[in-house]
Amino acid sequence: MAKGGSDRSRLLLVLLLVSALFLITLDLRGVNLAGGLRSGTQTVLSPVEGFFSRVFSPVGNFFGDVKNLGNTRKKIADLNSQVDKLTAQAAVNEDIAGQLTQLKGVLDLAGRGGYQVVAARVINRGSNSTFKQTITIDAGSTSGIEKNMTVISDAGLVGVVKSVTSNSAIVLLMSDPTFKIGVRIAGSQSVGVISGQGGNSYLLQLLDTTGEIKKGDVLIARGSEGNRPFVPGVPVGIVNTVQSNASSITQNADVDGITDLEKVGVVAVVISAPNQPARDSLYPKPQPVVTVLVTPTPTPSPTK
Amino acid sequence: MSQLRLLNTSLFLLITFFIQESLISRIHFPWHGFSLYVSVLLALLAFEDRTGALVFGFIGGLILDLAPSAVSPFGQWALAMTFMGYLFSLNREAIGDFTDRPLAFVSFLSVSAAVAYLTFLFLGLLLGQTNGGFGFNLGVIAVNSLWTFFITPVFLPIIIKVRKFLLSSRDLI
Repeated sequence: MAKGGSDRSRLLLVLLLVSALFLITLDLRGVNLAGGLRSGTQTVLSPVEGFFSRVFSPVGNFFGDVKNLGNTRKKIADLNSQVDKLTAQAAVNEDIAGQLTQLKGVLDLAGRGGYQVVAARVINRGSNSTFKQTITIDAGSTSGIEKNMTVISDAGLVGVVKSVTSNSAIVLLMSDPTFKIGVRIAGSQSVGVISGQGGNSYLLQLLDTTGEIKKGDVLIARGSEGNRPFVPGVPVGIVNTVQSNASSITQNADVDGITDLEKVGVVAVVISAPNQPARDSLYPKPQPVVTVLVTPTPTPSPTK
Repeated sequence: MSQLRLLNTSLFLLITFFIQESLISRIHFPWHGFSLYVSVLLALLAFEDRTGALVFGFIGGLILDLAPSAVSPFGQWALAMTFMGYLFSLNREAIGDFTDRPLAFVSFLSVSAAVAYLTFLFLGLLLGQTNGGFGFNLGVIAVNSLWTFFITPVFLPIIIKVRKFLLSSRDLI
């Protein structure tokens, strides 16, 4: 009897494993079973995500704020004095104002670059179980969004549209470890490749052996053929540390992303780019530094 | 296992999956994240008999394959979770003892979550996927296990109650 049960379980195990392998084989051979099912799931999920986005937007960064608690004690003490003045409505208004500021920034950047864009709100983040860093936005194919379009924020590059449904799209973030983008250094025009590292730090590999990188260099997207997946001229990052390695053929550098992907709430998808590329006009201009020069002049001490 | 049980447990897993995708994913957990769905699925597998662990491992994996942000082939999670169901069914007696010791049971679930992710990544490696660096993925898995360890005790009593509710009178016998 027990042996019969064991045999049945073994048969079931083999059956399930074969079924799973059959599904994987179908998918790898191009039968688009997953695409339809996943976009169906996304279509069902996007209205729910939109609802939760509106409800939980002010508390989305709760854990991130807790992490920085030690560094912001003074700030918390200052804020405590203002807590009584705040109401739930004010919190919601503040959130909306933040999104409007981001939207204004995105449209400013798009206007300067001459890009035709569709603005969208971030309504969700990708599941941890997929090992992909993604966000979901509340605009899809009905707004003219297609796969492999560049997504920008008010500061610069955010990522690339990975898949689209009628009213939402999934964007692969530039922080994803599989993300790579060709860039050039604004000014010197040396070219290189930036790779995602999982956080807000990126690795730059300079392809030009004679080129030089220095801290503070701004990196701009080189652009792709037909402006897909990358439109040229979008700021990508700023060089933080130059790695000195005498044995390496190419120069490497650690780069800070120009967009804080943890806090991005409003983005724009570039529908089309101008015929004339934006070149270096979009990178952040350095703030003027006021230098005060004092020339000491000898003054005779009063003599009595 | 009755058809009704198969249907209602699958429905429960699907609802948990929707909660994970639409709500839990919104929370910015420090150092990557936590999957409520994987924790719930593994907890369910731990309570099941041999057949239940295999069947719900497969169904739970198929549901996980529906994640819109996934780029892995459809069925990869199903294969990984069927394997997890098999591992659970092999250690059925030991798991039974764990349920009397909550701390050991939660530790077991967090290690199981790490094994499930490693299995998924290993299958991805065999299928030629690029899922980022080894160290980075190891960090994601370790942190996920840690969150599983801390958060699972919060909802474990709910899972136990829901499972009892889902059992048909025939299963209860």
